[in-house]
Amino acid sequence: MSKRLEPYFDQELTGEERRQVDEHLRECRTCQESFKLMERIRGAIKQPVDGAVEKEDFQLMWQNIQREIRLRESPSWLESIRVWLDISPLLQKKVWIPALATMAILVFVTVPILFKKSPSPSVLSVVEYVDSPTYNVMVYESEKPEVTVIWLFEGQGEELSTS
Amino acid sequence: MRRKTSFSIILVSLFLPLFAPVASAQVEVRVRVMEASNVGSGIDSSLRDLHGQLGSLFNFSSYRLLKDENVSLSPKQPVSLPLDPGRSLELTLIDLRRVVAEVKVRISKDGRDVLTTLVKLTPGRSVSIGGPKRGEASIIIALSRP
Repeated sequence: MSKRLEPYFDQELTGEERRQVDEHLRECRTCQESFKLMERIRGAIKQPVDGAVEKEDFQLMWQNIQREIRLRESPSWLESIRVWLDISPLLQKKVWIPALATMAILVFVTVPILFKKSPSPSVLSVVEYVDSPTYNVMVYESEKPEVTVIWLFEGQGEELSTS
Repeated sequence: MRRKTSFSIILVSLFLPLFAPVASAQVEVRVRVMEASNVGSGIDSSLRDLHGQLGSLFNFSSYRLLKDENVSLSPKQPVSLPLDPGRSLELTLIDLRRVVAEVKVRISKDGRDVLTTLVKLTPGRSVSIGGPKRGEASIIIALSRP
């Protein structure tokens, strides 16, 4: 019966078992002493625990736990951007949409112009046009040496003399 | 209204650098007028570089400098230089892109145009216009960027 005393104390027995232990306790002095000892031990433990529980601020403790959870579960960069966009008041204004579109178009138009690779000066045609109502004209362009000659012929017999 | 004005200012400030170089640019052009002939021999010292370039094309024995001037050209502003009596040279800067200056050249004689040409001048390259006679010699006008 002494083996059932502890489950009885912890209220783990069925009704019939409790009734049997009750009857035994009324007659057995040893078990009565054991039961009283259990009650004293429980009282000795429960009192400081209850006191500590009363003093403890569970609201603050829960906030600390939540903070720890947030720190350990850091959001992805995509989530961070989404959150930032949600809270940024500038980006909530729809005026930025046409402004950004305009900027993109301007960049698209101007960048090719600014960075257009122009042909090297040496490969350019130096003489764009030449017009003379009174002379016959010959244009000579040379890369080495870098020289351009526009020669005007006054008469029929005159020719450019080359070496 | 304010928004439109701001947008216009942004547009102008974005495109202004594309046009500013032409608007504010000036170009120095060296104009040398010389007389080339086979009468006598001798090359003026200030024509040695040109003789090095033209010597392989012409067999003139004498190159005599008549005029050596640096002219500053501004866009669309013609600059006139008198040549020998009755002839004049007019230079106009048409466009300037990076190192390439587009210059319109007009030579007139007795008030009539005898030559109009548009040439691109780059540093290191000379453009020579020659042929008109002056006695036994031919006049050559050399344009270059100093």
